[in-house]
Amino acid sequence: MRKLLKPREREQMLGTAYAFPMGIWFTLFFTIPLGIIVLYSFLKRGLYGGVEWEFTLDAYKQMFNPSFGRVVIRTLWISVLATLGCILIAIPCGYAMAKSKYQTVLLFLIIIPFWTNSLIRIYAWISILSTEGFVNSLLIKLGLIDQGLKLIYNNGAVVLVLIYMYLPFAILPLFTTIDKFDFSLLDAARDLGASKLEAIIKVMFPNIKSGLSTAFIFTFIPIFGAYTVPLLVGGKDSTMIGNIIVDQVSKTRNWPLASAFSMVLTFISLVGVFWMLYNGKREQMQSKKTTQQSLEQNIKKHHLIRGEK
Amino acid sequence: MHKSPTIATALTILLVSIFLISCQKDSPSQGKLYLYNWTYYTPDAIVEQFEKETGIDVIIDNFASNEEMFAKVMAGGNEGYDIIFPSSDYTSIMIKLDLLEKLDHKRIPNLKYIDPLIKEKASYDRNMDYSVPYFMGSSGIAVDTSKAPEGYARDWSIFSDERMDGRMSMLDDMREVLGAALKHLGYSGNTTNEQELSQAKDLIVTEWKPNLVKFDSESFAKSFSRGEFWVSHCYPENVFAEIPKDQWDTIDFFIPPEGGMMYIDNMVIPKGAKNNEAAHAFINFIHNPKVYAQFLDEFSFPPTTNTTASKYMKNHSFAFTSEDMSNSDNIMDLGQDLEKYNTLWQIIRYEP
Amino acid sequence: MNYHTYSKKSSVSFSYTVLALTIVFLFIPLFVVVFFSFNSAKGMQWQGASLIWYEKLIFDSPSLWAAFKNSLIIALTSSLTATMLGTLAAIGIKWYRFHGKSYITTISYLPMVLPEVIIGISMLIFFSAVKIRLGMFTIFVAHTTFNLPFVFMMVSARLDEFDYSTVEAARDLGANERQTLTKVIIPSVIPAILSGFLMCITMSLEDFVITFFVSGPGSGTLPLYVYSMIRYGVSPVINALSFVMILGTMVIAFTFRRFLKTVAASS
Repeated sequence: MRKLLKPREREQMLGTAYAFPMGIWFTLFFTIPLGIIVLYSFLKRGLYGGVEWEFTLDAYKQMFNPSFGRVVIRTLWISVLATLGCILIAIPCGYAMAKSKYQTVLLFLIIIPFWTNSLIRIYAWISILSTEGFVNSLLIKLGLIDQGLKLIYNNGAVVLVLIYMYLPFAILPLFTTIDKFDFSLLDAARDLGASKLEAIIKVMFPNIKSGLSTAFIFTFIPIFGAYTVPLLVGGKDSTMIGNIIVDQVSKTRNWPLASAFSMVLTFISLVGVFWMLYNGKREQMQSKKTTQQSLEQNIKKHHLIRGEK
Repeated sequence: MHKSPTIATALTILLVSIFLISCQKDSPSQGKLYLYNWTYYTPDAIVEQFEKETGIDVIIDNFASNEEMFAKVMAGGNEGYDIIFPSSDYTSIMIKLDLLEKLDHKRIPNLKYIDPLIKEKASYDRNMDYSVPYFMGSSGIAVDTSKAPEGYARDWSIFSDERMDGRMSMLDDMREVLGAALKHLGYSGNTTNEQELSQAKDLIVTEWKPNLVKFDSESFAKSFSRGEFWVSHCYPENVFAEIPKDQWDTIDFFIPPEGGMMYIDNMVIPKGAKNNEAAHAFINFIHNPKVYAQFLDEFSFPPTTNTTASKYMKNHSFAFTSEDMSNSDNIMDLGQDLEKYNTLWQIIRYEP
Repeated sequence: MNYHTYSKKSSVSFSYTVLALTIVFLFIPLFVVVFFSFNSAKGMQWQGASLIWYEKLIFDSPSLWAAFKNSLIIALTSSLTATMLGTLAAIGIKWYRFHGKSYITTISYLPMVLPEVIIGISMLIFFSAVKIRLGMFTIFVAHTTFNLPFVFMMVSARLDEFDYSTVEAARDLGANERQTLTKVIIPSVIPAILSGFLMCITMSLEDFVITFFVSGPGSGTLPLYVYSMIRYGVSPVINALSFVMILGTMVIAFTFRRFLKTVAASS
């Protein structure tokens, strides 16, 4: 005879049964490794790699070395530029896709390049941008320049290729959210006197906040920790934080320092994830309220302009 | 209703694949030899010949730097490899850390062909107890004469030549670059003297780095062949492999007269290697003069290391000779003092 | 009225232009890759069309195919595992409350966002600390770990639109949990499961950074092979392979085109 469980207990048991396999997997292979990294960041480095069991704050102190500071600043501005580029391009793209009849085809087109090996795509950019590559050969043939421009092995190339690699991550969330957006609200706002741009900024943007924050998180954080792109298309002064971390693991074998940097990046990612989840929840609750409010405001403004005193 | 077959199929595929994975995990060791080697360092033809003669299957994993190899080894990733190819400095570290098996010379009779000179240079293991030299070679400077202006200096100061600003690369390797500067200043490439090191760092930062476009140990050969780099601090075999033979005379490769950094790459057997037997057989096979000659010819290497092989070589024009390396220093392990190099290298690499 | 219609058109055409240009931008490197796969010379100079690299790909690239085989095995196993675990977890989290729920919810988003170098290094350090040998198994574990969030997210999104009353109805009619699961819930989230699975396969096949850190003897995957070739000159054989893979994925994508929309909707 099966024991009759109280509904609440049953819920617990079922929920646990469903979610725990994944939970255990993550705990074992994700949380614990991250935990080990936290631990290592407080230990002393071994001469030939590895760690020695001695508590020290050396790693964190080393992080404040001025040469690292330069790299951090560089990583910041490259990341901000690349993220901005992605988002600014992704918004009109998402808008156009949401309004289009050919959504599936467009999705298809956006995703396919993403399915090619990332190294190959980066490498293709090298042959496009190099001094005797496609772009320069074309420009020379057209007589616009005499000698090849230095388009590669510098920070500009890094930003460009980063934008290229992470665009789909910005376009997809924005497309999804814009797709759910009720466009008749835009028409309503314009009928009430708002300009095209005003309508988009005051009515659409507040409602796609979750899409914007998702797009931001999914581009900024991975870009911030990028490694391969600066390595392959960057120049002598294009080192980013991701490169430092790898260098500390493989070249200098300073695992505590690598762990300390990783901790910082993990912390930033956690904050980012919380912000994104928070925005998502808030938007679900507030979306109707906000549009109503802004519509009411517009109506009031309209009446005021019309001169109803 | 039609979900059950799908789930069953999925589970079957999963189980089969897991089975395949676990088969890979404990692969039977008679008949397989696992090498951890520099990319393309052992020509396919030689590997195939070995496989044919012995019936042993050879599987090669690659690395492009000692550091990368060692990081894997320290993380427990060396288990499963039967032979690893570290350079001298890392060979001596691995010996110190007791990571290597002692070699049985009775199973490597071809050791008699190895040049006694190289044994002298290998001060960390003169008797070849743990390592057998694979090749002694050197980095140097390659200049694309079809692009470079006339009258460039044929020594390390070429990197101060502003006419080639933005067209030059150096290796992304702390020992190689600091070593080059040290040698140019007349010091030893293995010095631990802080003043000397500081001078070397200043030389690099103030005179060389401004003219460089990139520190590249990975794709310098490709960029050189593409005309992106006109001057490249490089390993010659990589560069010559990228350029068609009929253009080789446009490349001026030289080891600067003040000397540079040379290396000795060794074959070692890590402790716990599963196929000790085959590992010894392979090492012996490599130093068969006829086989070794093939290796030298493939890369246009001069006959260092195994001089008897020169009898069998077909190629007699080399990128460099043993004499060119007479002023060079072999990269040695510096233990704790390596930290001094690390600090300076960080400044060189990370500060604009 | 006319004024509004006109500006509506121009705002739409501005975004369409951006979209069109973006798509071209996204495809440029692909064209370069395919273009050079047909070049008879090894380098950048165009020297006439040729299929020799395709020949070499099929007949003379044993190490490439060995790497490809490894990639495929890992992709299949990690995707299957991730799909199973992720789907079940999504169901559990969507409708039930239990201890540790918020922990699991947060932790499942992190791997998607965290930079790859950190995941790779933390796994390397973990495996070395608990003395698990690097190899196919460790790559399998790593791939499953970063695949899980995607499945979880996609199935969760799909469950958002699923009417829970169907489940209740099934229960009222006497179905036990297993039957509810297999006959009611799973059939309706099949699109999400499949797109999740496809997504995992894609990400697994092309992962480089994480695999780089956790691979061991004889477990090289395709991206690792490509990386070693990039360093010493990419033989156009890789371009030929890329073109074949692009065609292959296009075929697969076309077959599953219905599910592509779910892919985007849940991301």
